[in-house]
Amino acid sequence: MTQEKVSLKLPRRWDSYKRKSHLRIKKIAQIIRAFRRQPRGVIGASIIAVIFVCALFSPWIAPFDPNEQDIANRFAGSSPEHLLGTDYIGRDILSRLIYGARVAAVVSIGSIGIAVLVGVPLGAVAAYNGGAVDYIVILIFDVIRSFPSVIMILVLAAIFGPSLLNIILILAFTSFPAYGRVARAQTLSVKEEEYIIGARSLGATTGRILLSHITPNILSPIIVLAGMDLAVMIMWESALSFLGLGVQPPTASWGIMLKQGYTYIETAPLMIIWPAIVLITTMLGCSLFAEALRVALNPMEREPDE
Amino acid sequence: MNERLLRVSDLTVEYSTRKGIGLALDNVNLDIREGEVLGLVGESGCGKTTLGLSIMKLLPRFGKIVKGEILLKGRNLLDLPERIMNKEIRGREIAMIIQDPMHALNPVFTIRTQITDVLRFHKDRRFDPHGKQVQLKSEAAKMLEEVGIADPAERLTDYPFQFSGGMIQRVMVAMAFSCNPSLLIADEPTTALDVTIEAQILELLKSLVKRNGASVLYISHDLGVISEISDRVAVMYAGNIVEYADTALLFENPQHPYTEALLRCLPGSEARGNRLGSIPGRVPELTERPKGCKFNPRCPYVMDICKERPPKLLEIASGHSVACFAREI
Amino acid sequence: MLKYFFKRGLGIIPTLLCVLLFLFSLIYLLPGDPASVMLGPRATPAMVAALNKSLGLDQPVYVRLWHYIWGILHGDLGESVWSGHSVSSLITSALPYTIVLTLSSMGLAAFLGIILGVLAAINAKTIVDHLVTVLSLIAVSIPDFVAACLLLLIFAVRFRFFPVIGGGAAGNIADQIRHLILPVIALALGWLGYIARLVRDTTLEVLDMDYIKVIRSFGAPRRYIAYKYALKNAIIPVVATIGLGVGKLLGGAVFVELIFNRPGIGKVITDAVFARDLPVVQGGVLIAALLFILANLVADLSYAYFDPRIRYE
Repeated sequence: MTQEKVSLKLPRRWDSYKRKSHLRIKKIAQIIRAFRRQPRGVIGASIIAVIFVCALFSPWIAPFDPNEQDIANRFAGSSPEHLLGTDYIGRDILSRLIYGARVAAVVSIGSIGIAVLVGVPLGAVAAYNGGAVDYIVILIFDVIRSFPSVIMILVLAAIFGPSLLNIILILAFTSFPAYGRVARAQTLSVKEEEYIIGARSLGATTGRILLSHITPNILSPIIVLAGMDLAVMIMWESALSFLGLGVQPPTASWGIMLKQGYTYIETAPLMIIWPAIVLITTMLGCSLFAEALRVALNPMEREPDE
Repeated sequence: MNERLLRVSDLTVEYSTRKGIGLALDNVNLDIREGEVLGLVGESGCGKTTLGLSIMKLLPRFGKIVKGEILLKGRNLLDLPERIMNKEIRGREIAMIIQDPMHALNPVFTIRTQITDVLRFHKDRRFDPHGKQVQLKSEAAKMLEEVGIADPAERLTDYPFQFSGGMIQRVMVAMAFSCNPSLLIADEPTTALDVTIEAQILELLKSLVKRNGASVLYISHDLGVISEISDRVAVMYAGNIVEYADTALLFENPQHPYTEALLRCLPGSEARGNRLGSIPGRVPELTERPKGCKFNPRCPYVMDICKERPPKLLEIASGHSVACFAREI
Repeated sequence: MLKYFFKRGLGIIPTLLCVLLFLFSLIYLLPGDPASVMLGPRATPAMVAALNKSLGLDQPVYVRLWHYIWGILHGDLGESVWSGHSVSSLITSALPYTIVLTLSSMGLAAFLGIILGVLAAINAKTIVDHLVTVLSLIAVSIPDFVAACLLLLIFAVRFRFFPVIGGGAAGNIADQIRHLILPVIALALGWLGYIARLVRDTTLEVLDMDYIKVIRSFGAPRRYIAYKYALKNAIIPVVATIGLGVGKLLGGAVFVELIFNRPGIGKVITDAVFARDLPVVQGGVLIAALLFILANLVADLSYAYFDPRIRYE
């Protein structure tokens, strides 16, 4: 009996990628639909959109230059010209709020981005390799997490000096362990799945497995965490600026505006109320957005009334 | 022994789901006599669990009883307020055993706490305040021993996750019988267990039922178990009772097309080497039930009238009722 | 249970060691020469040399490290560069204020949060539930320092109900409490919202569980289920996040102390940070980290107490 020659025609990489992209797009459309179905998602997304538009287009949206002083007109209440009034040296509060959105956006995106780029690979590799690498990485995570973040951030900010870049780096430093832990936990649970063993038996290298198989599975919780962190990072930026450890005046930042409002709390309550409202609303929007995202990404989430 | 214990009349239950409102139970009529075991058979989604829950008035939030009566010894349970249900009916007159033992007990309380708390719901009058706790503990240990759990006193301090599925079902059986109920609703108590354990639990149930003289509504999709344990059987399909007969009659001479088909699906009912029977089509979704007789899309004897009106459950012979136009003649 | 306690207790030692090492090496992270940084641009060489000597900077690293650890074990955390007072005395006089503030806030947040959460869950989908959910969401979105400023504005400046600054006269409990009220509310608000939401979600999940159906089938009254049977399950995630909460509250305490001008660890550390008073910063951060680690340990142990499954892992 002669053996038939079996020629294995493996699909080219591009073909399989194209096929998978089709599925990926469908999946993304599903997620977007699940997101849109939730009122809080729409509200949250709208708020965030407004903030980002302000951040991107501040020079065109803001009625005044944020640093333009008008001492004669300081502590003014709202008027058609200065919709939200002026601060202690006559600067237009609305314009300063609009420019403040820039700082908030940059800090939040920057710090979360760096935290994810550092933490996720670290956690995934640690979990995948196990052993000593894992132990060391966990130790690093735990040590960083064992400090109350405020203290850590304060001390680091004090050491390295206040500046936009420094805040972004410090915030990324304090938050990357959280991402690392999530990535590690997810990798651990995925590592033992059968299809990984299957891929390995087919000769896939560690790198390829990490990239193509593990990464898509850990993406969801990471995205959810990042969403929730958005509000936190914006809060931190204002908190640090409030203390004087963040961006420095005259740059407009909501935190600085709050601090100045606090200083003049007896004279001009408006100086503190407007930034407070904007900050709270932004954080609210981010929380709603993150919640909706979490529900949309989790196929098992249902309203507990069915 | 022939006294009617429970009578369910025209019971109709609605479920509100994301896809709309559907009838989980559609004008269901049945009764259970004292001391008898009524088997309730049907596939998943036919409403048998809903029937059991309705009798206890423990429907989930999205369910509502919209019509009907449930008479227990002459009292309509649907008229009773929650307080009376808790005090006099649940865990007193009627007790229930559910399908999944692994989730039947609260994982953060010990077995002892859960048993004694249940005892306390109804029997606290029996013990004086002085020796209360001790009495309940020994009572609990006694209950565990009765159902065949080794080292009962030590096991009391364990948590549910330290018990196996079979052992938890024994505990549930003990708790159910602790108040000497007139009716036990057993909702697929052995479905989640291994076959050997299943046999043990069935034996345990049978002996306790006999000893206490309780009636049983035994819900299952396993025809073998039903035939072994029931005096009478009711067959359910998509919210209706389609056939209702003494066990022997049902299995020897099934009248409803669905029952026929079910029996044909049992391994062993076909000649060796032939294909296993199956029923074409599938069970309709709650919100997509067909008009008329719900089985009509899959029925080999379907007639025009079947698609217009639902058939009523009629007695065609002594002790044998069926809901089918084809048999009405 | 005891075995678990020891296991967890020992587990914090490596973390503690790393914390110590990190704090120890802080001084080397300062850009430039530590002593002159601390003393400022007007320091004379003599002063710099004196400071170097007292800080032990002229000695090799391992000697310094040894003195550092030895000192800590004996409760000696060095001396403030600014005031000369011992760091430990600075901390011990400020610590009680912070602990009282943090614990009161935690207590208030947990107590109200659990009550509101259970209430919302039992009355799911009604006005009560919606109200609690929306208010919780807003509460969580108000940062501690913003809440503090707003409360200050409304109740102390506008309406003069409460004192604006300070911690209250020592020894006078009533006065202390008066000074405590606004800060505690400001600090507890965010956490309260979080717990209420968490308890609500967990309780809803628990109420859908089979074991609730089963216990109801045995005739359990509603009160029993709400206050005993389901409550324990619902509290577990709260206990599990207490460690997180303490960290957050300790952090918020820094701002609240600043805004209300209350004495406390937060004030000590922030003042020291701005004054570049390194020994105080080191000592303060060490104590804060220690508190935090301890709180997490207690949280873990409580978690194991409430959820027996954890003990047997």
